[in-house]
Amino acid sequence: MSLRSWSAGEIARIKSWLGALLWRNRLEAEMDAELASHVEHRSADLVRAGKTPDEARRLARIEMGTALTHKENMRGALGLHRWDELRADLRYGLRMMAKNPGFTAVGVVTLALGIGINAAVFSVAEAALLRSWPAAQPERLARITATTPEGQDADFSYADYRDLAAQSRLLEGFVAWSRRAKTLQVGNETRSVLDDVVSPNYFAVLGIRPALGRGLEAESAGGRTVVMGDSLWRSAFNADPAIVGKQISLTNRSYTVIGVAPARFHGLQRGIPTDLWLSVSSEASAGELAERSDREYEVLGRMRPGVTAEQARAELGMIGRRLARTYPADDKARNLGMEAESERLRAALVPTLLLQASVGIVLLICCANIAGMALARAETRRGEMAVRLALGAGRGRLVRQLLTESALLAGLGAGLGLLVAWRLIGLQAALLPPAEFTLGLDLRLDGPVLLYTAAISALAVLLFGLAPALQAAKTSLTPALKKDESTGRKTGRWLTVRNLMVLGETALSVVLLTASGLLVRSLVNTQKIDLGFDKEKNLIFLDLTPGIADYNGQRSLDFLTQAEGRVASLPGVKRVSLARRVLLSDSGGGTYKIVTIPGVTLPDGRQSLSIKYNAVDAGYFQTMGTRLLRGRDFTVADNATGAKVAVISRAMASRFWPGQDALGRHIVVGGKDGDCMIVGVVQDARIVHVGEETEPYIYLPLAQSPTGEATLIVEAASPAATLIPAMRAQINDLDGRVPVGIRTMSYLMSQAFWSDRLAVGFMAALGALGTLLGAIGLYGVLAYLVNRRRKEIGIRMALGAGRGDVLRLIFRQGVRLALVGAGVGLAASFALMRLMAGFLYGVKPSDPVAFAGSVVVVLLVAVGASWLPARRAAAVQPMEALRHE
Amino acid sequence: MGKEKQADLLQGTLDLLILKAVSLGPLHGYGVLLRIQQISGEELVVQQGSLYPALYRLEHQGAIASEWGESENNRRAKYYSLTALGRERLGEETVKWERMAGIIGTILSAVAE
Repeated sequence: MSLRSWSAGEIARIKSWLGALLWRNRLEAEMDAELASHVEHRSADLVRAGKTPDEARRLARIEMGTALTHKENMRGALGLHRWDELRADLRYGLRMMAKNPGFTAVGVVTLALGIGINAAVFSVAEAALLRSWPAAQPERLARITATTPEGQDADFSYADYRDLAAQSRLLEGFVAWSRRAKTLQVGNETRSVLDDVVSPNYFAVLGIRPALGRGLEAESAGGRTVVMGDSLWRSAFNADPAIVGKQISLTNRSYTVIGVAPARFHGLQRGIPTDLWLSVSSEASAGELAERSDREYEVLGRMRPGVTAEQARAELGMIGRRLARTYPADDKARNLGMEAESERLRAALVPTLLLQASVGIVLLICCANIAGMALARAETRRGEMAVRLALGAGRGRLVRQLLTESALLAGLGAGLGLLVAWRLIGLQAALLPPAEFTLGLDLRLDGPVLLYTAAISALAVLLFGLAPALQAAKTSLTPALKKDESTGRKTGRWLTVRNLMVLGETALSVVLLTASGLLVRSLVNTQKIDLGFDKEKNLIFLDLTPGIADYNGQRSLDFLTQAEGRVASLPGVKRVSLARRVLLSDSGGGTYKIVTIPGVTLPDGRQSLSIKYNAVDAGYFQTMGTRLLRGRDFTVADNATGAKVAVISRAMASRFWPGQDALGRHIVVGGKDGDCMIVGVVQDARIVHVGEETEPYIYLPLAQSPTGEATLIVEAASPAATLIPAMRAQINDLDGRVPVGIRTMSYLMSQAFWSDRLAVGFMAALGALGTLLGAIGLYGVLAYLVNRRRKEIGIRMALGAGRGDVLRLIFRQGVRLALVGAGVGLAASFALMRLMAGFLYGVKPSDPVAFAGSVVVVLLVAVGASWLPARRAAAVQPMEALRHE
Repeated sequence: MGKEKQADLLQGTLDLLILKAVSLGPLHGYGVLLRIQQISGEELVVQQGSLYPALYRLEHQGAIASEWGESENNRRAKYYSLTALGRERLGEETVKWERMAGIIGTILSAVAE
């Protein structure tokens, strides 16, 4: 048969099958009509042959036989059998699910949890690792990199970028971008925004068309234009449709908005969205752009169609070598290369797999649980299976039908699971650390995520459905029909696979709950730590960076002092002071100075130490609530012209001058002019982390240690909300170019405790999940037990056992399983909790309260899980059980 | 060919007979039955139970096409006719059948040596 006729045949087959499906009723009617017409023709012939009409018709019908068998065969010829069977299976499956609401509910919820968590984690992996560049034809884009003796580098100077763009033949376009931060002024409000300074061809090469207006182009000098991001447009400008052409103020310079980016585009940096795009021509002078040693830009290149990665890379290498020869001072030893899209994906595959594998374990446990419950239920359905086998169903048919039921369950579970995933994704905002800018990945339940969900759902069907289906199909007919259970496998083994699984789940729950307990106690303890300042005070912190507006040294100090004065004069402000850094802030991590201490022998024979320090002004300690223990605070006299002084923390005093008075001693801070006299000792404070070890700390007068950034610490009498606009206005009035970041005490506290709270929340969620799964597993095992031992229970009751005895029997089984599992879990916890020692504060890794607590919880849950099977066991009627169900 | 079970062989033969019958002119189901009977010289009566499944199978495969029309006694009947695909198949199957018959004939006429 030629290919042409084969394909014509296939097409005919498909058309016929589809037609039969879609116009089923007409098909059935036609079949009936055709068979009837056949009978009529035959009777007509028989009449012609001499029979009476009635006899003829009777004979014709007998000859025909049952229309039903004919129609079945005709349907079979059209390939409708599989389809009809599938529909029947689906209907039957739905009925069975409705008849067993308990099993169905537990199964669907368990699957929803497992599938939902997997889908949510995959969407994170997809957004963070797998997704391509958010541009047109991303497979042709490649990040340009440079390999230097120090390692790989992805930053370039604008001059190098220009040369790349000019010299490359195989890449049709390059874009450069540099991440900056600005302050946007809208009305009376200022907010911090993140902007990208980009090459003028940015939008064109990426293939991004703005939703409103146009993209950046090569602008003439003097025209300052900006493209706004969609989220900023909505949040700050209320999606004003007339935004194009309006002027906005960024760090006190005026820009014209020429376009709004499309809603899905957040710039090229995953996780940190861009608010605005500015052109290099308005942000940097020609001289700055020619400076080859300033590497601030990342570069992306687009390959011409048909160019391979190897070719492009070879050309880049050649250009790199040429640049190194032409500009040896700046570009020497930089080998240019690129990371093509396929390579990026390949590199992202391993972390994605690791991530998915670890979450996949949860799904595996869920499937194992459901398989256990399904096996338990299969016991009760042996009669049904036997009848169907006896009536002629093939074992394959049975397996298919049971798998269809499992598929229905998985389908419902997947649907609910997507809902769970959607809610989990919505938690992202709550889980991120508090920050000034909006962070976060663009998590979506899009195509790849849905595909992945479908795939793992199908896998789940096999995992939890195949074993029970195969088991049921192996039912031997006679014993099942006689409802005789004595031939069932009677294993005296207690350590069956399913029991082991429950033991494992219980042990896992205990470990997770113990970890949660330890973390909770640790968190409670850290909340009680003396931070070294008064965290109850209504303090507002204004982070000022005069350095950005080119203030430095004394001018910066003057600015800060003026700002301090202005804010202090506002009504509702009790006290103001200045500090280079606020304790527990995430910035700076505590900068330090090299200190030598004459007259004191340092450990290990060292000459100097690095000690963390802060620069503060007079009144700081009072404002923050840090207690002065000895000596005095700084005064106005401790200025640039006065003698150098320092205040130290108690830990420093007791470490270097134990048992003596540190006042009047001298230390040399940072170089030979740094001789300071110690004039005061204050209580210890937490510098970087709440749970850190106490370190020595030095305070220097701000006037003697000027800085380009400092924080105004304002003790407020009025609520923060009323004061903040006024304070901002005062600073803007002084110099609008200086960015102001505002934090309150509660914000500071949430920043400081964020990681602890996150760890507790995460572990507790895992613990709850593990316990829930363990409970379901235990329920499954006990339900199976009760089903199998129904007859035995009936005998016991007939021989005089009461309800209470039966209840105790089942509960004992459940509790015994749980206890053994808990024991294993405790042992595992002892070993594993040691790993957590570094994260715990004020709690030993072997804390008995946490251990005992988790065991109690697990036992309670075990009792709860045993309750339903126990009740069912106690409800067994002895006479019925002894006879048959 | 040798791997087909007995039932398949008969099924294939019936398909061939139906195609031949229909090739001589459009027929309804009963008519196909009659014509096969007729052109076999009344030697072959097709089993009614196999006829309609075979007709439906052939139509599903695209070898014949059906159309409702009026029969000789003014009754509605579904008429089947041969398609181009069916004609091609009829030719190929006929050649195969004749070759098979020849081979079997040769085997059966082998004389003991």
